[in-house]
Amino acid sequence: MSQLEPFLAFSAEVTAFPIVELQGTGQAESYLQTVEDIVGTQRLDRLLVLYQSLPLATREDIRQARADRLRRDIFGSDELGPIARNIIKLWYSGTWYELPSAWTEAYGPAPQDVTFVVAPSSYVEGLLWTAIGAHPAGAKAPGYASWQWPPHIPPFAGDPAATPR
Amino acid sequence: MISSIKKTSLAEIKARLEQHPIEAVIVGTGISGAIIANELTKAGKNVLLLEAGPGTNLTLQGYNEFLSNFYGATSKDNQAPYPVNPNASMPRSTNLRKLQPGETDSATYMVQSGPYVTDTNYTRVYGGTTMHWEAKTPRMLPEDFKSQTLFGQGVDWPLGYDDLEEFYQVAEREIGVSADVEDQSYLGVTFPKDYVYPMKGLPLSYLDQQVAKRLDGTEVELYGQRYPLKIRPFPQGRNGIPNDKYDRGQGYVPVGAVSNHQIEIGERCQGNTNCVPICPVQARYHSGKTLAKAFQRATGSIHLLVQAVASRVVIDPVSGRVTALEVKVYKDPKSSEHETVTIAATIFVLASNAIETPRLMLASGLRSSSGLIGRNLMDHSYLLSWATMPEICGTMRGTSVTGGIIDLRGGAFRRHQAAFSVDIHNDGWGWAVGSPYSDLTTLVDQYNLFGPELRRGLINRISSQLLLAFMIEVMPSESNRVTVDPQYTDQLGNMRPVVSFTVPEYTMRGAAYAREFARTVFARVGAADQSRYDPGDYGYVAYNGQGYAIRGGNHLAGTHVMGNDRNRSVVDTNQRSWDHPNLYLVGGGSMPTIGTANVTLTLAALCYRSARSMLDQLQ
Amino acid sequence: MDSSDITTLEELKSYLYSAMQLEHATLPPYLVALYSIKPGTNLDATQIIRVVAVEEMLHLTFAANLLNAIGGEPDLTVPGFVPNFPTYLPDGEQEFLVHLAPFSRQTIENFLQIERPSLAPSGVNKLVARREHGPFLHLGTHPRQTTMRYYSIGDFYKAIEDGLVYLEGEAQKQGKTIFTGDAGRQITSQYYYSGGGHLHPVTDLATAVTAIRLVIEQGEGQTATIYDSQKELAHYYRFDQLIHGRYYRSGDAIEHPTGEPVSVDWDAAYPVKTDVKLADIPAGSELHQAAAAFNQAYARFLAEITEAYNGKPHKLMEAVAHMFEFRNAMTVLIRNPLPGSNGLYAGPTFEVSPEAAGAPQAGAESLEVVA
Repeated sequence: MSQLEPFLAFSAEVTAFPIVELQGTGQAESYLQTVEDIVGTQRLDRLLVLYQSLPLATREDIRQARADRLRRDIFGSDELGPIARNIIKLWYSGTWYELPSAWTEAYGPAPQDVTFVVAPSSYVEGLLWTAIGAHPAGAKAPGYASWQWPPHIPPFAGDPAATPR
Repeated sequence: MISSIKKTSLAEIKARLEQHPIEAVIVGTGISGAIIANELTKAGKNVLLLEAGPGTNLTLQGYNEFLSNFYGATSKDNQAPYPVNPNASMPRSTNLRKLQPGETDSATYMVQSGPYVTDTNYTRVYGGTTMHWEAKTPRMLPEDFKSQTLFGQGVDWPLGYDDLEEFYQVAEREIGVSADVEDQSYLGVTFPKDYVYPMKGLPLSYLDQQVAKRLDGTEVELYGQRYPLKIRPFPQGRNGIPNDKYDRGQGYVPVGAVSNHQIEIGERCQGNTNCVPICPVQARYHSGKTLAKAFQRATGSIHLLVQAVASRVVIDPVSGRVTALEVKVYKDPKSSEHETVTIAATIFVLASNAIETPRLMLASGLRSSSGLIGRNLMDHSYLLSWATMPEICGTMRGTSVTGGIIDLRGGAFRRHQAAFSVDIHNDGWGWAVGSPYSDLTTLVDQYNLFGPELRRGLINRISSQLLLAFMIEVMPSESNRVTVDPQYTDQLGNMRPVVSFTVPEYTMRGAAYAREFARTVFARVGAADQSRYDPGDYGYVAYNGQGYAIRGGNHLAGTHVMGNDRNRSVVDTNQRSWDHPNLYLVGGGSMPTIGTANVTLTLAALCYRSARSMLDQLQ
Repeated sequence: MDSSDITTLEELKSYLYSAMQLEHATLPPYLVALYSIKPGTNLDATQIIRVVAVEEMLHLTFAANLLNAIGGEPDLTVPGFVPNFPTYLPDGEQEFLVHLAPFSRQTIENFLQIERPSLAPSGVNKLVARREHGPFLHLGTHPRQTTMRYYSIGDFYKAIEDGLVYLEGEAQKQGKTIFTGDAGRQITSQYYYSGGGHLHPVTDLATAVTAIRLVIEQGEGQTATIYDSQKELAHYYRFDQLIHGRYYRSGDAIEHPTGEPVSVDWDAAYPVKTDVKLADIPAGSELHQAAAAFNQAYARFLAEITEAYNGKPHKLMEAVAHMFEFRNAMTVLIRNPLPGSNGLYAGPTFEVSPEAAGAPQAGAESLEVVA
């Protein structure tokens, strides 16, 4: 069974980008492969199984409980936290960041764990720039003179700054 | 534009040398070499161009490989697109470290002998440093040519603004400058009546406008004089909207991308925010555009030899004339295997840059009778100040820089402290702290944000970034210099440049004021100052109890300074060597001072002027 | 010129409207093929298709300039302006279907058909009876006699050129001109330029004929030479390079390019479902929303272009900026698997209805300014 589906579901929640946009980067498979290659399939499986066991957020109070569990059990885990954070950074910048040395000492070695850009296209598809209504330097240019206008910052679900309608 | 540029093989060059004497050998394919090659071939001269790099970017595919290298690079520094080449190495900022007093760092190609460590750099590929230049093209101010007379600082030029004005126009045409005369007429800069730039000015960024609406019309006081402030657009060497009034109503046709194929890309600037280190669509000028014209016109009388590193200038001891150039032609960047060829010509033009040209001269044992080869090295000193704007300003969009403050480029205060020009960086705090990557790692790893809080956090933190880059003038000083040392050589056995540099006190006074000025600007626009200078920074300079991280500007100049007196200069006003009558040292190195103008436009103008003299000599 | 098909100014206007429709209709297929190419692959093909697409925009703008020059009002928001793909184009005795399809050999062959230079051989009637093909749009149809169509696009444009010459000749006889349009409505290079041709204003017969010939030469060329008068390769030969795997160079014979090799990887493209429709995408899904939002954005783009062509040339700059934005929206759609389609991918559907253009819906706020 491919891990792509739960990987995308987890990625969507922690990046605040819908799956359609994650798929739209064309990087989903290569990011999943990158994580599996570096930290091992089993460890990633554990993260995703844990993620799938979180309470479903159907009501506001449960939403909070889910976020708390996500923070405590995954981001707060010495073993899984750095991986979860690296998955976010992958989507946002296309870069795999070398894991903290404390992680490597405890759970390593991970021979391929160096900072690198997954592929030239991963940089181009970094979500960091989509989020801020800009474009990665050197790619996806917005057109002559577009810089003179205010940025178009795309709205997103759950934006803490969004005014309630 | 289709270019018919072909590399010529060494065997073919050798065969040609026997039949067709070369009239001019030009070392380097940057803007100086390109302009001179173009001018000489226009007059039907037989030209050989030497390029140290492999010239892979002659094709669009090769150019795109540079872009792909950039995309895939972990560090997006100036050299990120350009492959490491041990046979024609380049300085690189990522390899630097702070020096202890008296220490020399030879771990990088350009040996740093301190005390200041400069991250200035240049590119040794086809197209030279115009491959990664930002393409800001201000003219020097009339007062910049007379700084000794007017301010008791530096030296006066042997030429004045009026001598260069017509050549500025030619250079602006060649580079394809986008600007409006009304924005650029200040501090004594004048244009002929009815002059317009080839293309209309690029609009200010939204970020510029947010700063301008609070800052414009305010003043600062300096040594008893008041200076009004205004955010103005910079002239830029990139394609904008052609001005139909140009050339007495003839208009201007921009040059798009150049390639060996029938491919017309490279329209007007699309706002890639990546002028440095590579424009993906070739909207920004690079010297390949000028060379394409030369090759298109003069196939047969211009030849390009790549992977050819000029290694020694051979002199006839009696006449002082250059008899030949020794060139090491390597087979592969990875291997030191090479063949040394000796090339004779009527005139020789060294157009590498203000580090490599004196390096070659010194490596050839030619110190010049003035002793000034390699001395008076100049580069603008940059001080960065950065802050958070009170609202979202859409940072990370536009050309690298669209606007800034030029009001303190000139004035009576220059008697006391260096002038500066201020850039508003559209790419945020990138230069200072590595934004936006550093923002991402900070918010994720340190602030423990994820999900919508992270996404909003990134918007708020990045889109409101303001970075002011102060480009501070540096006056000539003989102790700031390039030398060579036989113990430091590269893979081909060529001696590497050794740089000794101290940021002059005059500049540091300007830097200290720049810091104060930044605080004033931030106060007026309501921005939160975030600047900090780490004493461990390689460019850290202490001055009057404060510390500043000073960056290099890649505006290299001064190392073969021009003048009217052969005892106090290396070249004459035509950039011809006083000692060697058939040798020209061209480029920024000839500039006696640099004021607060990015050097390329001025050195391009000088090259047009010198080309006339070369043609006279070749008659 | 007595044989001109066009005998009134109103007819000429409807021909020019059809010309705009025709030039525009090639854009969606070219863009889908272009953006279906997997990133980092097929660099030559990417450049070739991109340049052709940019030139189609140029041709569209020329058609608008021509229409404006004779006092017309270009309108790209008329229902039915955008074809419901596939659409028919004439190719001699036959008509053929133009599809929204991913980059492939077949797709490039389809593009070659679009750009194939051909004129009705002498003796053959350049008007051909249309066959009934159901609901799809037939480009190149005779605007008045809707049961007839032109033998080729070249013939269609030739009819326009003849009509311009004929009508202006008639007007001149009475001391008048048909070029009565407001010069301020002309789009010039100031607002739009590319490497592929200089955009000049159309103000009289000479500039009108230059414009129409440039469109013919670059595009659905009628000339037997590979290079046009601006020394550029006509579109047909640009695409032909992909089939032959070689660039043309000057002096080459037709169908025999001898330049440097062009590397093509036909498999390195997302397998977008051909002529995908909104109805193919599960209703209510994120993907459906994204596809609908794209159509709305496209409709707004056409409205902006229309505004630019109607006296506000500077608006073209904003419209082009929005074009860059929806380029990103297109790639997102193209890289998403289409559920229940056996491995095919989604894509932009270009179903542009007036409703879609008007009512702001969920996705519309993506252009909202937060500042």
